[in-house]
Amino acid sequence: MTQTAVPEFSRYWQHALDELALYPAKPEVTLLPMRCADYATMYSVRLTGSGPYRLYAYLSIPQGAGPFPAIYFPPKYQSVLEPIPQGAANFLRSRFVTFALAGRGQRLSDQPFAAGFPCMLTERIDDPQSYIFRGIAADCVRGLEYLLTRSEVDAERVVAIGNDMALITAALRDGATHVVCQPGLFVDTIASAARTGDYPLEEINDYLNLYPDRKDAVRHTLGCFQLSNFAPRVRTTTLLMAGAPGSLLDAAALSSVSSEIQGEVTVRESERSSYKDGIYQEQWLAREFGFDEAILPEHWQ
Amino acid sequence: MISDYRCSVRTPDDFDDFWGAVLDEAARIPLNAETTPLPLRASDELETFEVTYDSLDGVRVAAWYCLPRQRQGRLPAVVFMPGYQSDPAIPKDWARRGYAAITAAPRGKLRSNAQFNPGYPNLLTHNIIDRNTYSYRGFYIDAWRTIDYLLTRPEVDPERIGVAGSSQGGGLTITTAAMRPEVKVASAGAPYLCGFMDAIALTATYPYQEINDYLRMRPHSRADVEQTLAYFDGISFADRIRCPIIINIGLQDNVCPPETGYALYNAIGSENKRLYAYDMHGHEAGRYRHTAVITDFFRRYLQD
Repeated sequence: MTQTAVPEFSRYWQHALDELALYPAKPEVTLLPMRCADYATMYSVRLTGSGPYRLYAYLSIPQGAGPFPAIYFPPKYQSVLEPIPQGAANFLRSRFVTFALAGRGQRLSDQPFAAGFPCMLTERIDDPQSYIFRGIAADCVRGLEYLLTRSEVDAERVVAIGNDMALITAALRDGATHVVCQPGLFVDTIASAARTGDYPLEEINDYLNLYPDRKDAVRHTLGCFQLSNFAPRVRTTTLLMAGAPGSLLDAAALSSVSSEIQGEVTVRESERSSYKDGIYQEQWLAREFGFDEAILPEHWQ
Repeated sequence: MISDYRCSVRTPDDFDDFWGAVLDEAARIPLNAETTPLPLRASDELETFEVTYDSLDGVRVAAWYCLPRQRQGRLPAVVFMPGYQSDPAIPKDWARRGYAAITAAPRGKLRSNAQFNPGYPNLLTHNIIDRNTYSYRGFYIDAWRTIDYLLTRPEVDPERIGVAGSSQGGGLTITTAAMRPEVKVASAGAPYLCGFMDAIALTATYPYQEINDYLRMRPHSRADVEQTLAYFDGISFADRIRCPIIINIGLQDNVCPPETGYALYNAIGSENKRLYAYDMHGHEAGRYRHTAVITDFFRRYLQD
């Protein structure tokens, strides 16, 4: 059964954003000499999200005169915060401002709340007001807000790259011009979980197996996070990275999302090769941002 | 030819003495294992447990352990080794195939980081100029002690233990198969921790980039770094491997250069070894096709 939006969807998110607005970011920027390069300078950034909650991020600024296009990496579903994603050419940092945020619960943003993996997806899921992803979504928005305050950033070329949270960020806050989204969490979550034994969706199966009486509450909470309900609010140019044909989140499964996005949408189905899929994404981004060539890791050149 | 690539690492003359002393030290530490049922992660078909045990330096190490509920007699067992920055998976898929399955969370991973937590990035270069305190000295022991845990379990057949993993899990598979004769079969994908010094010249991507970052700040430490890593390089361990083993690599791997995968494969001592090189694949190393290969390989040696 397809997950539908709860009636209070808009109000729920407006409250989340209103709450975030109560807390100034108060950024604290510190040079990280170990992660600098000849072509880029790396900083840590601490900033406040709703709660209040103090967050951590990596910010890399290219050498030279900006402004530069920017890549925003909202929180992934893992404990580790990467300065830039594993396997990405470090030289990307010569072209792009990069900003990678640890949402609440991830390493470096784990005081006072340290998330478990698995565990995060069902953390306080019985109540939409306390569900951990309400705070994480607000963190994502705060990260984008901060990035857009940087004078080095070319506001005409800002991409959010990530899982569901990239699209949710673009839905909740203007500012990203592009989105690259590989959904994995909030597409008909309960029904999708029932079709797999793989984590993180298996967390939902685990939870409902132990607490079957809480299914309605879980469904209600997840209604606030259903990706297709965010899609109509997204006006950015979007690359949707779908699973391979026939897989759990293939293009057909994502059609409820792709068909509702208001910006230009490209749906790319995985070829089950991180090389082919990765090349496609890098070249798509280079084209969109007006570069002749993508910056690729050595073994992709 | 990439298939003839040779890495620069040379096994130190006192390699066996070094690891012999570390293993002796570890052997003096009682495992003190605790096995706690996890109803949240269990089902009608599987039991799941959180395991903890003691390791070097007094570090308490966590693991996930899964068993099929339907079982007759002793089970074959599989150790599934974790990646570098990913969080260790609960190995339900292996248990569904009829194995006792364990996934370690060596020191620094979540649930094993109360006493040691250099973070990511940082683990790869933590005390990298000193083999006696380098992070992977304890990290390797933590991983190898999963075998000791399995040997305490009455439901496990000690003659049918395999080890598998990809990326760092591939590197840990290599060292475990080399150092633990109880391992009867192994599968290493996209092996990390193999050919460190070549890898940092062949690629500028994390996590190997951590070493480049370190050497940029401390260029005078290069000889010490190289000397330390020779004791921890999977290629230095490889000629000790005697069990059947398969390796899979992606020829466009942007994390663990395929050159190092070939060098590792060529150094493996087992006569029963096979390399699967997947063209047009990156760090996933052909996982979609290769999963069935691994499943069949383990079934042949542990279940038939």
